[in-house]
Amino acid sequence: MKKKNLPVDWGLRLAVLIVAVGLWELFLRSSQNFLLPRFSDMASGLFHLLFAEARFWQALYISNQALILGFAISVAVGIPLGLLAGRFRWMDRILNPYVGVLLTMPVAPLIPIVIIALGLGIAARVFIVVLFAFVFITVNTRAGVRSVEASLIEMAKSFGASEGQIWRRIVIPGAMPAIFAGMRIGLGRAITGMVMVELLLVASGLGRLLLEFSGRMQSDLVFATVLAVIIEALALLAAMQALEKRITRWAPDASIG
Amino acid sequence: MKQETVPKAAVKSITARTVHGAPVLRRFARETAPEVLALLAGAALWEILGWSLGLQWLPPFSKVMEALAQFVGSGVILANLGSSLRGLIVGFSLALIFGLLLGSLMGRYRYVEKALDIYVHALFVCPSIVFAPIFFAIFGLSDASRIAIIVVYSMFVIVINTATAIRTVDPSLVEMARSFGCGETQIFKRILLPASLPLVFAGIRLGIGRAVKGMINGEMLIAFVGLGALAQRYGAQFDAAKVFAIAMVVLMIGLVSNALVQMLDNRLTRWAG
Amino acid sequence: MIRVRALSKEFSVRDNGGGVLALSDIDFEVHDNEFVTIIGPSGCGKTTLLRIIAGLIPYDQGEVAIDGRVITGPGPERAVVFQNFALMPWADVLANITFGLEVRGTPLDECRDKAKELVKLVGLEGFEKRFPKELSGGMQQRVGLARALAVNPEILLMDEPFGALDEQTRRLLQEQLLRLWEGQRKTVVFVTHSMDEAVMLGDRVMLMTPRPGRVKEMIDVPLQRPRSPQVEKSGAFVEIKEYLWENLRAMQVGES
Repeated sequence: MKKKNLPVDWGLRLAVLIVAVGLWELFLRSSQNFLLPRFSDMASGLFHLLFAEARFWQALYISNQALILGFAISVAVGIPLGLLAGRFRWMDRILNPYVGVLLTMPVAPLIPIVIIALGLGIAARVFIVVLFAFVFITVNTRAGVRSVEASLIEMAKSFGASEGQIWRRIVIPGAMPAIFAGMRIGLGRAITGMVMVELLLVASGLGRLLLEFSGRMQSDLVFATVLAVIIEALALLAAMQALEKRITRWAPDASIG
Repeated sequence: MKQETVPKAAVKSITARTVHGAPVLRRFARETAPEVLALLAGAALWEILGWSLGLQWLPPFSKVMEALAQFVGSGVILANLGSSLRGLIVGFSLALIFGLLLGSLMGRYRYVEKALDIYVHALFVCPSIVFAPIFFAIFGLSDASRIAIIVVYSMFVIVINTATAIRTVDPSLVEMARSFGCGETQIFKRILLPASLPLVFAGIRLGIGRAVKGMINGEMLIAFVGLGALAQRYGAQFDAAKVFAIAMVVLMIGLVSNALVQMLDNRLTRWAG
Repeated sequence: MIRVRALSKEFSVRDNGGGVLALSDIDFEVHDNEFVTIIGPSGCGKTTLLRIIAGLIPYDQGEVAIDGRVITGPGPERAVVFQNFALMPWADVLANITFGLEVRGTPLDECRDKAKELVKLVGLEGFEKRFPKELSGGMQQRVGLARALAVNPEILLMDEPFGALDEQTRRLLQEQLLRLWEGQRKTVVFVTHSMDEAVMLGDRVMLMTPRPGRVKEMIDVPLQRPRSPQVEKSGAFVEIKEYLWENLRAMQVGES
């Protein structure tokens, strides 16, 4: 186990950041593109959004409504499907081709169809978020169930455990790390779905703000809004990962970074 | 627990060894057939619901196929497909080059890894589509924007997989090579490269999937040509059959490109477990 | 007492519709409080036999009866100790030990008391709250043993329990197992591939043939109890072990 040298690590990371910002400024000075904001412009733009623009918080609220609802539904649908597919081969067989299609097919082209069906309100946005996210939760949950060692299930049977007990005490705890990984990936996908639909058709929430600032050539605010979305995404994902670490303290560390 | 003990009276014959039909056919029947059947059943259901429900957004499956045939016949698909694919190839190639390079550096040199890992990870997990407005601001309504989006979508999964692949090469293999007097480049060529191939390919496969998504997502937001633009147009006209048809074409692209990478993978990493 | 009569077991192999006869016409008895070890060449089906007695897999022909009743699955009178430990990685030592009890609905405080007792018995005091990944192989198997003992079975079925451990740990655990067994003489069926182990631990050694496995011979081990490590040097021990090796070597398939 290599010794961790934290100060050096963080020093390197900071150095990279400084170099990146430096390159940014350099590029700006030499290019003719007046649409590009300077780093300081973007930073002040962010400040403005957070503290001087009520509409930003309003937009944040509207966007997150769809996100939270959509993600909750994805989890409520995705996990049971994954559990069933993992445990029962016949169910897995039937679901597999559809899961495969949903995994590889980009959901974005279908957004207009969903709009036709559900209109321009929150229902459409929530549905699209679900479409983006639930398959990944299902796939990871299924993998988690199948990763539980057969010998553990056999051990439980040898002590006379019933099917319900096997589920509660062996399969679900064993599948937890993968279920959480699926939820983490699903959360990222849900955020993508939320942003996609807002930018494409349903001009509301943060998407609408972005389109507005873009149209008015206020690129510092465009960049600032994007930064805000990135920060929110990273914060949510970090929270999920922290929760994951607490609940699955026993699992070997398979995370990146 | 259901007990499957067979009482003496109904004993199975131990000596009977009948082979029903060619083994390959049996395996096909057992493994792929159910899945194909499930898909066909779904298509049939789609057809029935399409006709019976008469919803604007759910045309019968046959109508979608009709629209698809129409596209192919009229050449509309070809023009836009070509445009989309060109963007995909350029974008993915760039992602490959930068991704493999960066991943190799990160995998090989600890300082590079430590310096860049949180940025790579952050860019990997955050929804790549948020960069679309940024690229639009930088490159405007041009191919460069679309290509940049594809790069952002697919590069980071390649970086991470490549870095992990190189980092997790069995150190005893490297030690062995050194004991025979191999220098840095030889170690890279003879040990690191082949040993990391399986995982690198896993990254490439994931990358192509994401690249296709980046292609279509980007086009729907920022393009006037390409399949994404088509989808937008027909969507605005509420022509669900045509939109579904386009979605199918994109799905095909995804499946074919994935299969191509898989084929290459199988040939190059036949030795892997 | 375990009575096995004319037992046969066939595994079907996928893809070509054929079958593999794992066990053929197995016939033997294990008496109460007896320690029987089973040994045979690789692939002879000894683990399959144990799992059948445990009620984990069905059999095709014959009969397995415990105290006169034909078995139909796992039962409270039997407990298994597994070769790869089969511990739940997400549960600590105490929770792993009490698993069998909890599954049967034993009240929690009773479980805890029993677990604490057993932790002492297997020598893992101080490790109650540790997780399997923090324990060595030998310690993990002691947890497995404690778990099996916790449900107070009449019969202990052990499937090459020390096979995954290094030699030193193995010897220590063998001594510990013998000490425990002297304390409460359960009926034990112990599968092993080690001749030393088979003779050291057993009252009788059951020698199996290569696949399809049959009982070649039941060999008495008249060595004195309690067994100490010294017994390995005794003439009788060496004789029995040599006898085993002669037979096993003759039976090895594919060796010159």
